[in-house]
Amino acid sequence: METGGTHIIKRHRRHGIEAFSKDKLQKSVVAACLSAGAHHGQAELVAKHVADAVEEWLEDRPEVTSSDLRLATAKQLKKYHADAAYLYEQHRMTI
Amino acid sequence: MDITSSLAAVALIALIHASFQLSVSVLTLLGSHTIGARMSHKKVLSLISSYVFGATTMTLLIVSFASLIFLQAFGSEVPLMAWAIACAVVLGIGIAVWLFYYRKGAGTSLWISRGFARHLTTRSQKTTHPTEAFSLGLTSVIGELVFIVPTVVLSALILIGLPSGWQMIGLVVYTLFSLLGLLIVWALIGSGYSLSSIQKWREANKRFLQFSSGGALIVLGFFVYVTRVIAEAAGAM
Repeated sequence: METGGTHIIKRHRRHGIEAFSKDKLQKSVVAACLSAGAHHGQAELVAKHVADAVEEWLEDRPEVTSSDLRLATAKQLKKYHADAAYLYEQHRMTI
Repeated sequence: MDITSSLAAVALIALIHASFQLSVSVLTLLGSHTIGARMSHKKVLSLISSYVFGATTMTLLIVSFASLIFLQAFGSEVPLMAWAIACAVVLGIGIAVWLFYYRKGAGTSLWISRGFARHLTTRSQKTTHPTEAFSLGLTSVIGELVFIVPTVVLSALILIGLPSGWQMIGLVVYTLFSLLGLLIVWALIGSGYSLSSIQKWREANKRFLQFSSGGALIVLGFFVYVTRVIAEAAGAM
Protein backbone atom coordinates (compact mmCIF):
# COMPACT_ATOMS: atom_id res chain seq x y z
CA MET A 1 0.00 0.00 0.00
CA GLU A 2 1.48 3.36 -1.00
CA THR A 3 0.21 6.31 0.98
CA GLY A 4 0.33 10.05 0.54
CA GLY A 5 2.52 11.85 -1.93
CA THR A 6 5.79 11.60 -0.03
CA HIS A 7 8.83 10.46 -1.94
CA ILE A 8 11.79 8.76 -0.32
CA ILE A 9 15.23 9.72 -1.60
CA LYS A 10 17.40 6.62 -1.30
CA ARG A 11 20.93 6.77 0.15
CA HIS A 12 22.55 5.79 -3.13
CA ARG A 13 21.73 7.71 -6.26
CA ARG A 14 21.46 4.58 -8.41
CA HIS A 15 18.51 3.43 -6.27
CA GLY A 16 16.73 6.69 -7.12
CA ILE A 17 13.53 7.91 -5.52
CA GLU A 18 10.55 5.80 -4.49
CA ALA A 19 7.10 6.49 -3.13
CA PHE A 20 6.65 5.98 0.61
CA SER A 21 5.10 2.60 1.39
CA LYS A 22 3.44 2.20 4.78
CA ASP A 23 3.34 -1.58 4.33
CA LYS A 24 7.05 -1.76 3.69
CA LEU A 25 7.78 0.36 6.77
CA GLN A 26 5.45 -1.76 8.89
CA LYS A 27 7.16 -4.97 7.75
CA SER A 28 10.62 -3.63 8.60
CA VAL A 29 9.43 -2.59 12.08
CA VAL A 30 7.83 -6.02 12.64
CA ALA A 31 11.15 -7.65 11.64
CA ALA A 32 13.11 -5.45 14.07
CA CYS A 33 10.66 -6.23 16.89
CA LEU A 34 10.84 -9.99 16.23
CA SER A 35 14.65 -9.83 16.12
CA ALA A 36 14.58 -8.07 19.49
CA GLY A 37 12.55 -10.94 20.95
CA ALA A 38 9.02 -9.47 20.80
CA HIS A 39 6.06 -11.82 20.26
CA HIS A 40 4.29 -11.76 16.88
CA GLY A 41 1.17 -10.01 18.20
CA GLN A 42 3.18 -7.39 20.05
CA ALA A 43 5.40 -6.83 16.98
CA GLU A 44 2.36 -6.28 14.72
CA LEU A 45 0.76 -3.88 17.20
CA VAL A 46 3.93 -1.84 17.74
CA ALA A 47 4.55 -1.71 13.97
CA LYS A 48 1.03 -0.39 13.39
CA HIS A 49 1.44 2.39 15.98
CA VAL A 50 4.87 3.33 14.60
CA ALA A 51 3.72 3.31 10.96
CA ASP A 52 0.72 5.51 11.84
CA ALA A 53 2.94 8.00 13.67
CA VAL A 54 5.50 8.11 10.84
CA GLU A 55 2.72 8.54 8.26
CA GLU A 56 1.44 11.52 10.26
CA TRP A 57 4.98 12.96 10.43
CA LEU A 58 5.27 12.63 6.64
CA GLU A 59 1.98 14.45 5.94
CA ASP A 60 3.54 17.89 5.36
CA ARG A 61 6.77 16.56 3.85
CA PRO A 62 6.74 15.92 0.08
CA GLU A 63 10.28 14.48 0.10
CA VAL A 64 12.49 12.93 2.80
CA THR A 65 15.72 11.00 2.66
CA SER A 66 15.71 7.33 3.62
CA SER A 67 18.07 8.21 6.53
CA ASP A 68 15.57 10.77 7.88
CA LEU A 69 12.78 8.24 7.56
CA ARG A 70 14.88 5.66 9.42
CA LEU A 71 15.64 8.15 12.22
CA ALA A 72 12.00 9.18 12.55
CA THR A 73 10.90 5.54 12.63
CA ALA A 74 13.53 4.63 15.24
CA LYS A 75 12.42 7.60 17.38
CA GLN A 76 8.81 6.39 17.33
CA LEU A 77 9.82 2.75 17.84
CA LYS A 78 11.86 3.70 20.92
CA LYS A 79 8.62 4.69 22.69
CA TYR A 80 7.31 1.13 22.42
CA HIS A 81 10.36 -1.18 22.27
CA ALA A 82 13.83 0.22 22.99
CA ASP A 83 15.72 -2.94 21.94
CA ALA A 84 13.88 -3.12 18.61
CA ALA A 85 14.63 0.58 18.02
CA TYR A 86 18.29 -0.09 18.72
CA LEU A 87 18.39 -2.97 16.19
CA TYR A 88 16.47 -0.84 13.67
CA GLU A 89 19.04 1.97 14.00
CA GLN A 90 21.96 -0.44 13.86
CA HIS A 91 20.89 -2.17 10.65
CA ARG A 92 23.20 -0.16 8.37
CA MET A 93 25.92 0.24 10.99
CA THR A 94 26.63 -3.39 11.87
CA ILE A 95 29.21 -4.16 9.16
CA MET B 1 60.52 -24.50 18.77
CA ASP B 2 59.18 -27.87 20.03
CA ILE B 3 55.78 -29.24 18.97
CA THR B 4 53.90 -28.15 22.10
CA SER B 5 55.29 -24.61 21.95
CA SER B 6 54.49 -24.39 18.22
CA LEU B 7 50.89 -25.53 18.77
CA ALA B 8 50.51 -23.13 21.71
CA ALA B 9 51.86 -20.28 19.54
CA VAL B 10 49.44 -21.22 16.72
CA ALA B 11 46.53 -21.26 19.22
CA LEU B 12 47.54 -17.84 20.57
CA ILE B 13 47.84 -16.38 17.06
CA ALA B 14 44.44 -17.88 16.18
CA LEU B 15 42.93 -16.10 19.21
CA ILE B 16 44.06 -12.79 17.69
CA HIS B 17 42.26 -13.85 14.48
CA ALA B 18 39.19 -14.62 16.63
CA SER B 19 39.13 -11.03 17.90
CA PHE B 20 38.43 -9.69 14.39
CA GLN B 21 34.78 -8.88 13.93
CA LEU B 22 33.60 -9.09 10.32
CA SER B 23 32.39 -12.70 10.49
CA VAL B 24 30.69 -12.00 13.82
CA SER B 25 28.99 -8.90 12.38
CA VAL B 26 27.64 -10.87 9.42
CA LEU B 27 26.46 -13.67 11.73
CA THR B 28 24.65 -11.13 13.94
CA LEU B 29 22.93 -9.64 10.87
CA LEU B 30 22.07 -13.08 9.51
CA GLY B 31 20.55 -14.05 12.87
CA SER B 32 18.62 -10.79 13.01
CA HIS B 33 17.20 -11.15 9.49
CA THR B 34 16.24 -14.80 9.83
CA ILE B 35 14.46 -14.24 13.16
CA GLY B 36 12.83 -11.05 11.78
CA ALA B 37 11.59 -13.00 8.74
CA ARG B 38 9.63 -15.33 11.06
CA MET B 39 11.68 -18.39 10.20
CA SER B 40 11.36 -21.33 12.59
CA HIS B 41 14.05 -21.81 15.23
CA LYS B 42 15.15 -24.97 13.41
CA LYS B 43 15.61 -23.01 10.17
CA VAL B 44 17.49 -20.20 11.96
CA LEU B 45 19.79 -22.78 13.56
CA SER B 46 20.35 -24.48 10.20
CA LEU B 47 21.28 -21.18 8.52
CA ILE B 48 23.63 -19.91 11.22
CA SER B 49 25.27 -23.36 11.49
CA SER B 50 25.83 -23.46 7.71
CA TYR B 51 27.31 -19.97 7.94
CA VAL B 52 29.76 -21.03 10.68
CA PHE B 53 30.62 -24.17 8.67
CA GLY B 54 31.37 -21.94 5.64
CA ALA B 55 33.65 -19.69 7.73
CA THR B 56 35.38 -22.82 9.14
CA THR B 57 35.97 -24.22 5.65
CA MET B 58 37.41 -20.96 4.29
CA THR B 59 39.69 -20.47 7.31
CA LEU B 60 41.00 -24.02 6.91
CA LEU B 61 41.51 -23.51 3.16
CA ILE B 62 43.32 -20.16 3.57
CA VAL B 63 45.74 -21.45 6.22
CA SER B 64 46.35 -24.68 4.23
CA PHE B 65 46.97 -22.67 1.06
CA ALA B 66 49.42 -20.29 2.79
CA SER B 67 51.24 -23.27 4.37
CA LEU B 68 51.47 -25.02 1.00
CA ILE B 69 52.85 -21.91 -0.69
CA PHE B 70 55.49 -21.45 2.04
CA LEU B 71 56.36 -25.16 2.03
CA GLN B 72 56.90 -25.03 -1.75
CA ALA B 73 58.93 -21.84 -1.48
CA PHE B 74 61.09 -22.54 1.60
CA GLY B 75 60.77 -26.23 2.51
CA SER B 76 60.60 -26.78 6.27
CA GLU B 77 63.46 -24.30 6.98
CA VAL B 78 62.09 -20.76 6.82
CA PRO B 79 64.80 -18.21 5.89
CA LEU B 80 65.52 -15.32 8.23
CA MET B 81 64.40 -12.80 5.60
CA ALA B 82 60.92 -14.42 5.41
CA TRP B 83 60.52 -14.13 9.21
CA ALA B 84 61.67 -10.50 9.06
CA ILE B 85 59.15 -9.67 6.30
CA ALA B 86 56.38 -11.48 8.19
CA CYS B 87 57.20 -9.47 11.34
CA ALA B 88 57.02 -6.21 9.36
CA VAL B 89 53.60 -7.20 7.99
CA VAL B 90 52.36 -8.14 11.48
CA LEU B 91 53.58 -4.86 12.99
CA GLY B 92 52.23 -2.79 10.10
CA ILE B 93 48.77 -4.33 10.23
CA GLY B 94 48.78 -4.15 14.05
CA ILE B 95 49.27 -0.38 13.83
CA ALA B 96 46.66 -0.16 11.03
CA VAL B 97 44.16 -2.00 13.25
CA TRP B 98 44.78 0.49 16.05
CA LEU B 99 44.23 3.40 13.67
CA PHE B 100 41.53 2.23 11.27
CA TYR B 101 39.72 -0.96 12.29
CA TYR B 102 36.36 0.61 13.19
CA ARG B 103 34.86 3.57 11.38
CA LYS B 104 34.05 6.70 13.37
CA GLY B 105 30.54 7.13 14.71
CA ALA B 106 27.93 4.85 16.23
CA GLY B 107 27.60 1.19 15.38
CA THR B 108 30.23 -1.40 14.59
CA SER B 109 31.01 -0.41 10.97
CA LEU B 110 34.39 -1.75 9.94
CA TRP B 111 37.10 -0.25 7.75
CA ILE B 112 36.21 -2.36 4.72
CA SER B 113 34.95 -1.14 1.36
CA ARG B 114 31.38 0.20 1.72
CA GLY B 115 30.36 -1.63 -1.46
CA PHE B 116 31.46 -4.93 0.02
CA ALA B 117 29.79 -4.12 3.35
CA ARG B 118 26.53 -3.38 1.50
CA HIS B 119 26.88 -6.62 -0.44
CA LEU B 120 27.29 -8.62 2.79
CA THR B 121 24.33 -6.79 4.38
CA THR B 122 22.10 -7.47 1.37
CA ARG B 123 23.21 -11.12 1.11
CA SER B 124 22.57 -11.74 4.81
CA GLN B 125 19.08 -10.27 4.27
CA LYS B 126 18.34 -12.48 1.26
CA THR B 127 19.79 -15.71 2.63
CA THR B 128 17.08 -18.32 3.02
CA HIS B 129 18.91 -21.54 2.13
CA PRO B 130 21.77 -23.27 4.03
CA THR B 131 23.91 -23.29 0.84
CA GLU B 132 23.63 -19.49 0.62
CA ALA B 133 24.54 -19.21 4.30
CA PHE B 134 27.55 -21.47 3.69
CA SER B 135 28.71 -19.20 0.82
CA LEU B 136 28.17 -16.14 3.02
CA GLY B 137 30.45 -17.76 5.63
CA LEU B 138 33.12 -18.34 2.96
CA THR B 139 32.81 -14.75 1.70
CA SER B 140 32.95 -13.14 5.15
CA VAL B 141 36.37 -14.73 5.84
CA ILE B 142 37.64 -13.49 2.45
CA GLY B 143 36.37 -10.00 3.32
CA GLU B 144 38.41 -10.10 6.52
CA LEU B 145 41.56 -11.21 4.69
CA VAL B 146 43.27 -7.82 4.89
CA PHE B 147 43.26 -8.04 8.71
CA ILE B 148 43.93 -11.77 9.12
CA VAL B 149 46.90 -11.88 6.72
CA PRO B 150 49.43 -11.52 9.60
CA THR B 151 47.90 -14.28 11.71
CA VAL B 152 47.61 -16.60 8.69
CA VAL B 153 51.20 -15.91 7.55
CA LEU B 154 52.74 -16.45 10.99
CA SER B 155 50.74 -19.59 11.65
CA ALA B 156 51.64 -21.01 8.25
CA LEU B 157 55.35 -20.28 8.86
CA ILE B 158 55.17 -22.07 12.23
CA LEU B 159 53.11 -24.98 10.83
CA ILE B 160 55.56 -25.84 8.06
CA GLY B 161 58.27 -26.35 10.68
CA LEU B 162 56.22 -29.14 12.31
CA PRO B 163 56.36 -32.87 11.37
CA SER B 164 53.71 -33.60 8.69
CA GLY B 165 51.18 -35.32 11.00
CA TRP B 166 51.37 -32.43 13.46
CA GLN B 167 50.81 -29.93 10.65
CA MET B 168 47.27 -31.24 10.27
CA ILE B 169 46.69 -30.98 14.00
CA GLY B 170 48.10 -27.45 13.90
CA LEU B 171 45.65 -26.55 11.12
CA VAL B 172 42.74 -27.85 13.19
CA VAL B 173 44.00 -25.98 16.29
CA TYR B 174 44.25 -22.72 14.31
CA THR B 175 40.79 -23.13 12.79
CA LEU B 176 39.09 -24.00 16.08
CA PHE B 177 40.68 -21.17 18.07
CA SER B 178 40.16 -18.60 15.30
CA LEU B 179 36.43 -19.39 15.28
CA LEU B 180 35.92 -19.04 19.03
CA GLY B 181 34.20 -15.63 18.77
CA LEU B 182 31.94 -16.91 16.02
CA LEU B 183 31.10 -20.09 17.95
CA ILE B 184 30.16 -18.08 21.06
CA VAL B 185 27.78 -15.84 19.05
CA TRP B 186 26.41 -18.94 17.24
CA ALA B 187 25.67 -20.57 20.62
CA LEU B 188 24.07 -17.37 21.95
CA ILE B 189 21.79 -16.94 18.91
CA GLY B 190 21.00 -20.67 18.88
CA SER B 191 19.98 -20.58 22.53
CA GLY B 192 17.63 -17.64 21.91
CA TYR B 193 19.78 -14.90 23.48
CA SER B 194 18.68 -11.39 22.51
CA LEU B 195 20.43 -10.07 19.40
CA SER B 196 20.18 -6.51 20.66
CA SER B 197 22.16 -7.50 23.77
CA ILE B 198 24.86 -9.11 21.58
CA GLN B 199 25.09 -6.04 19.35
CA LYS B 200 25.04 -3.66 22.34
CA TRP B 201 27.93 -5.57 23.92
CA ARG B 202 29.86 -5.48 20.66
CA GLU B 203 29.29 -1.76 20.24
CA ALA B 204 30.13 -0.95 23.88
CA ASN B 205 33.40 -2.90 23.72
CA LYS B 206 34.49 -2.13 20.16
CA ARG B 207 37.37 0.17 21.17
CA PHE B 208 38.65 -2.39 23.64
CA LEU B 209 38.49 -5.12 20.96
CA GLN B 210 40.27 -2.81 18.51
CA PHE B 211 42.98 -1.97 21.04
CA SER B 212 43.50 -5.59 22.09
CA SER B 213 43.60 -6.94 18.50
CA GLY B 214 46.06 -4.28 17.33
CA GLY B 215 48.10 -4.49 20.54
CA ALA B 216 48.30 -8.28 20.35
CA LEU B 217 49.53 -8.09 16.75
CA ILE B 218 52.21 -5.54 17.68
CA VAL B 219 53.39 -7.61 20.67
CA LEU B 220 53.38 -10.74 18.50
CA GLY B 221 55.39 -9.00 15.78
CA PHE B 222 58.06 -7.89 18.31
CA PHE B 223 58.12 -11.32 19.99
CA VAL B 224 58.64 -13.19 16.72
CA TYR B 225 61.23 -10.62 15.59
CA VAL B 226 63.22 -11.07 18.80
CA THR B 227 62.90 -14.87 19.09
CA ARG B 228 63.29 -15.70 15.41
CA VAL B 229 65.20 -12.95 13.64
CA ILE B 230 67.47 -11.38 16.29
CA ALA B 231 68.14 -14.65 18.16
CA GLU B 232 69.03 -16.52 14.95
CA ALA B 233 71.08 -13.62 13.58
CA ALA B 234 72.98 -13.39 16.90
CA GLY B 235 73.49 -17.18 16.92
CA ALA B 236 74.93 -17.10 13.39
CA MET B 237 77.59 -14.51 14.33
